[in-house]
Amino acid sequence: MDNKKIKAGITVFPGSNCDADVYRVLNSVFGVNASFIWHKDEIKDLKKYDFIVIPGGFSYGDYLRSGALAARSPVMESVKDYAAKGGITLGICNGFQILLEAGLLDGVMLANRSLKFECKDVYLKTLNTETPFTCAVEKGAVLKMPIAHHDGNYFATESLISGLDGKKSIIFKYCDEKGGITAGSNPNGSIRNIAGISNSAGNVMGLMPHPERSSEKILGSEDGGWIFKSIIKYIKEK
Amino acid sequence: MDKTKKQAEKLFGLSVEEYEKISELLGREPDSFELGIFSAMWSEHCSYKSSKVYLKTLPTEGGKVMIGPGENAGVVDFGEGDVLVFKMESHNHPSFIEPFQGSATGVGGIMRDIFTMGARPVANLNSLRFGSFSHPRTPYYLSEVVKGIGFYGNCMGVPTVGGEVVFDECYNDNILVNAFTIGIAKKDGIFLSSKCEVGNIVVYVGSATGMDGIHGATMASEEFDLKKNKKRSTVQVGDPFTEKLLLEACLEAMEKKLIVSIQDMGAAGLTSSSFEMADKSGKGMLIDLDAIPLRTAGMTPVEMMLSESQERMLIACEKEKFPELKAVFDKWGLNCVKAGEVIKEKVIKFYYKSKIYKTLDVDVIVNGPEYKRPLKKPQYLNKIKPVKINNYKIPENLNALAVKIITHPNIASKRTVFTQYDYSIGTATVVPPGFSAAVLRINGAGGGRNKSKKGDKGFLLNAGGNSRYTYLDPFTGGALAVTECARNITACGGYPAAITDCLNFASPEDPEIMWQFAYAVEGIKSAAVKLNTPVISGNVSFYNETAKKDGDKTYVSKIYPTPVIGMLGFIDDAGSAVTPYFKDEGDEIYLLGSIKGGLGGSLYMELAYGDFRQKPADLDLDYEVRLQNCLRSLINKGFLKSAADISEGGIFTALAESAITNPEKTLGFDVNCDIKAHKLRIDEFLFSEFEQAFIITTVQKPDGRRKSETAAILKKYGIKSEKIGSVEKGAMKINGIINLKSGKIKEGYYSAI
Repeated sequence: MDNKKIKAGITVFPGSNCDADVYRVLNSVFGVNASFIWHKDEIKDLKKYDFIVIPGGFSYGDYLRSGALAARSPVMESVKDYAAKGGITLGICNGFQILLEAGLLDGVMLANRSLKFECKDVYLKTLNTETPFTCAVEKGAVLKMPIAHHDGNYFATESLISGLDGKKSIIFKYCDEKGGITAGSNPNGSIRNIAGISNSAGNVMGLMPHPERSSEKILGSEDGGWIFKSIIKYIKEK
Repeated sequence: MDKTKKQAEKLFGLSVEEYEKISELLGREPDSFELGIFSAMWSEHCSYKSSKVYLKTLPTEGGKVMIGPGENAGVVDFGEGDVLVFKMESHNHPSFIEPFQGSATGVGGIMRDIFTMGARPVANLNSLRFGSFSHPRTPYYLSEVVKGIGFYGNCMGVPTVGGEVVFDECYNDNILVNAFTIGIAKKDGIFLSSKCEVGNIVVYVGSATGMDGIHGATMASEEFDLKKNKKRSTVQVGDPFTEKLLLEACLEAMEKKLIVSIQDMGAAGLTSSSFEMADKSGKGMLIDLDAIPLRTAGMTPVEMMLSESQERMLIACEKEKFPELKAVFDKWGLNCVKAGEVIKEKVIKFYYKSKIYKTLDVDVIVNGPEYKRPLKKPQYLNKIKPVKINNYKIPENLNALAVKIITHPNIASKRTVFTQYDYSIGTATVVPPGFSAAVLRINGAGGGRNKSKKGDKGFLLNAGGNSRYTYLDPFTGGALAVTECARNITACGGYPAAITDCLNFASPEDPEIMWQFAYAVEGIKSAAVKLNTPVISGNVSFYNETAKKDGDKTYVSKIYPTPVIGMLGFIDDAGSAVTPYFKDEGDEIYLLGSIKGGLGGSLYMELAYGDFRQKPADLDLDYEVRLQNCLRSLINKGFLKSAADISEGGIFTALAESAITNPEKTLGFDVNCDIKAHKLRIDEFLFSEFEQAFIITTVQKPDGRRKSETAAILKKYGIKSEKIGSVEKGAMKINGIINLKSGKIKEGYYSAI
């Protein structure tokens, strides 16, 4: 199967600002056929897409709470339907916040422990390589990607966390260069160093770091590319 | 009449002479509406009345410049159908009154200038000046300004990739916030404010007009008196989310060719945008004040005209295209209303309550006064003499001083600042903030185009200036701001291409300040001519001074003259850019260039002897050009592994930073330089600043061919290179005198701020 035959939909809300980056990386770096889905478009059925990306940004200015307004926009109804039917859905940064607000993932995002916006490279330990988002990643691999957020301090109750744990839904944790999950390597205070989780079915993932900003050597890391390579691999093998 | 004149002076910032001139032009005394318009358009901020005579002398053409000063921003050809559009602007006064909103709207304003031209903003820089690091208000200003910049830039999705943060007590009562934005456009997709045609509709788009920022331009053209807190309402309030929508809507409308001419509403809002568009197009306008969307009901005409509410634009569009234009702005949920028409007669007719309210002559309003203000050499300069080094005893513990320097707030890493900015959005940032110049590739945000044969075509950005040196020697300080930016760009392997300037000074009505200004501009001009970097845009901010009270005594606190330069450079392959830090143990360290040892103005003089007020070393501009060309040739040959210029903190700091800023490892060095051969004392060698030289490293044991080619390049440009040591593990050693542990220095360097 040619990558060009794989169709990706990228949702665009007013205030989305990583949409163009995801679009460029999917089309130019990975040769996928990616296109935008405008938030007001009444596409009832997203099934023509092989996967959906909810990109980062400040949807609706992140007024009220990060992602809260976007989670209630018309296109999210279609996304919920798509996800319920098993459609592969990836939320990056603000997209992760939107997935939480929409109830597609468990937990909430708090402001970073520093109460500041944090932009820097972080390391991620891959805990589950049997998901559509990580199936091409080497087991236990440490990936380098940048974060850029103000509200990335993931929080969930102990019972939710053990639920996530039990279903292997904690996909990525912040770690040090060598893979050690330490307090010092946690950039935002996230509980248990959590950087990315999936739903229990495994077809929806939210990730705070930006894989689209780390998919080319010239940008200092190609590690984020493994997320997209995994999705492509999964779709091809399905 | 005297009463009105006084009022004009107090409320509107016009001088008595200006008031009389206005009365003469009108043939009668102005009414309050007219006074409001004149006060804005004739303000220093909008009219450049004190600086124009000098700005005219700057080189503005040549090289790759397509459009110089005069439009919203300057334009440089980037080849293959692309152009880069950039400008730097000050937002000092608002940021001092309300640092969060002041800095945020400064960033918002400069980005609007860029996308008004049809360019998508792709990077921001900023130059920030705060009071002394230990001043009780400094932490507040620093944290609020940085938050404001991040708030606006991050939400807009434009990476903030560099700049500078400087602390000096001369900014205790006047902080400086200078914001720079660069955008990218298609060569045939540039929009100007000078293209209005008779019959076009004048369209108001964006946010509604509110009561914020009224008299903002006038406020920015005055010194602060003892009651600055009363000026809070003159500060605008920013909404980056709306601006992001405005950006997308404007670019979409431009792409669909629905816009004839466009001007953003910045300083003096609707007033300057309407008069400037009319004037530049040689036309007039009908403006229907009843159509202006308002946030506050019952705003008076003069309030509507002077409001500096953010996120608004004035557009001229063909009549039949208006419905299509409106559809675009509707899609983005923004106001888009017919607010008038372009007419032949060069006047602006204002309608209010469905009647003609006022008719004003465009030429009269825009052709404000132009002053050649008196100049006087500042008295303090007579006391500024070259350093007589023998009068100063070498401090016993140079190691302790070296630590003080590398951990000084002006030298130490600004990581805690720039990590609050999103610098990686756009997938274009190849070299992030914290090194010499920011390096970006073009095909990030642009969509995968312009892959040259060599790799990703790129550009480099840098902004900075040194106010102490400008204070001690205005000409050299002005020139140094330009050469220093160029050094940072050249040290990456880039070619300096063009500059924008932000000239921050105290009151131009003081002849000594005007003298500083005149000589600083002369310095900028000389360096810009030599380096072939035309000045394509810029801004002047005067009146950075504040009346202070100390017991019964009142005095004026003035900033040092602070010219700041923003520079653009080009590079064929962004991926090949050289970074300043050392790469591997064993690499050879060379000093490329000449060292003079001028300690005047240096941080060392301040910290060691408590006095930096000495004359800085002169700058040899011809040598500078040769030196930079030589360095670039060596880099382009692929001979160098690192290159760092020597700026604040001298050679010691350049070496130390090179050793500890490698993101992967901590290195050290062992340097032994024959300082007697340079006729220098050890402290002169270690700490003299802005030497015309670079610290470079090469591979270990270069082969014969490389040696001979290097020699040929050095000979061609007449530049000397001297091996001074090698890169080592974990320790910093210089001439048996400096001996420090890299790990400890690194810790201090990254935690000082």
